[in-house]
Amino acid sequence: MAFRSSITIVASPRPRVGKTLLARLLTDFHLHEGRLVTAFDLNAGERTLAQFLPEKTTTASVHNTRGQMALFDHLIASEDTTKVIDLGHESFTQFFSVAQQIDFIEEARRRSIAVAILFTITPDQTSVDAYRGLRVHFATATLAPVHNELLGPGLHRDKYPLVTGGPGVVRMPALAPGLRRYIERPPFSFADSSIGEAAAMPADTRSELQRWLRRIFLEFRELDLRILLADLRSSIQFGSGT
Amino acid sequence: MARPAVILVGADKGGVGKTTVARTLIDYFGAHQTPTRAFDTEAPRGTLKRFHPELTEVVDVTSVSDQMKIFDTLGSADAKVTVIDVRAGLLSSTLQALTDIGFLESAKKGQITFAVFHILGSSIASLQEIAETARVVGDANYFLVKNFINNTTFFEWDPATYNSYFKKIKGAEEITIPKLNEMAYEQVEVASVPFVSFIGNKGAKGEPANNSFVLRGYVRHWLGNVWGEFDRVKLVDLVSPKIESNVRQVAG
Repeated sequence: MAFRSSITIVASPRPRVGKTLLARLLTDFHLHEGRLVTAFDLNAGERTLAQFLPEKTTTASVHNTRGQMALFDHLIASEDTTKVIDLGHESFTQFFSVAQQIDFIEEARRRSIAVAILFTITPDQTSVDAYRGLRVHFATATLAPVHNELLGPGLHRDKYPLVTGGPGVVRMPALAPGLRRYIERPPFSFADSSIGEAAAMPADTRSELQRWLRRIFLEFRELDLRILLADLRSSIQFGSGT
Repeated sequence: MARPAVILVGADKGGVGKTTVARTLIDYFGAHQTPTRAFDTEAPRGTLKRFHPELTEVVDVTSVSDQMKIFDTLGSADAKVTVIDVRAGLLSSTLQALTDIGFLESAKKGQITFAVFHILGSSIASLQEIAETARVVGDANYFLVKNFINNTTFFEWDPATYNSYFKKIKGAEEITIPKLNEMAYEQVEVASVPFVSFIGNKGAKGEPANNSFVLRGYVRHWLGNVWGEFDRVKLVDLVSPKIESNVRQVAG
């Protein structure tokens, strides 16, 4: 199977772990790579993603059937668009419960769409259990733990076993506190080649931000390759099994 | 030749989802390649016929000519299974009529496989109905169906009372039909197609439809659970012992 497009779900059952920043970075990464991208903001409150990427973001909800139809029917629609979901913590359980019931991952695979879950790891048991649940119930999706270095040294990594043959831990390096004020005020795009100019950023600050961004984009490229590799592996297994 | 099977689906009050259960049965046997025909007793125009027009005939089960149409053809019909959706309020009288024509006697002798799906409502009156039917069904395979499809709550039921009725029927088994998402249920109603057609995104004549993936997913998941219940009570073995029973993926 050759995947035509991908859906990446940025998820954690915990609030304030950097999901929206990660979703912004990922969306801008795909834009930077010249892909068509649609982002879905599933946060009930501030809709931060929609504020930063208003032209690329669709706000969505999974708390009623109409919202679920609008979201999932759109996700598996026949179009070559890369999709990024910023899954708010309050929608985590409902989203994956519906996805499981309607066989979302399998349907996506049937339509040559790769599904990846980026799971921000934290030491709490709720997150550990949620990660384990995803491993069991969404085994055909690419599950990648994300270590947001801003949250600490990640001593709890061993609670999040990697999937054999799957991606390693995606590292999200901490951004210097002085830089955060520039990127946390919309509008701001990481995909913009003249990054930081609109925010009147000093040149050395801009180059530090670009260094940070390069590290993250490198992690995303590695993840892309892993997804591709998993696809090739499943194709080979499929081919040898027939 | 395998002996014919008759499945009576009834309830003593309307609105408990009797026709829905009949529809799941027809889909289930269809998935198991078991030739099935159905009779809808909601004369003059039946709901079951709307969903399964090719297989269903509308009859008046109290009339002798229609009784002949159903029961005199059991041995000669191509269909191996006959599903009869009995109109609300007619379950007891239908069973009585079956006794009168000697049908229940034939079932007792093993010439015909006979099963009753008694769809339960949420009230005590419905439980009293069990006692009444128990008197006539004898050795039939009796399934008490708790239908939650419309989110029926069984609050009014005291478990001790329920069990006292339940135990009156020798070998009775309980089947639970889970709740189906309301919008998914409504859309299948609007589409007027079998559940499996809705899941397969097909219209009434097999043409491609444009049903929501989410709603199809809900129906597939629900139907899988319903068929899981039918598998659990070994329904296929009952009507056709040789056929492989695990074909739920057909719903996909």
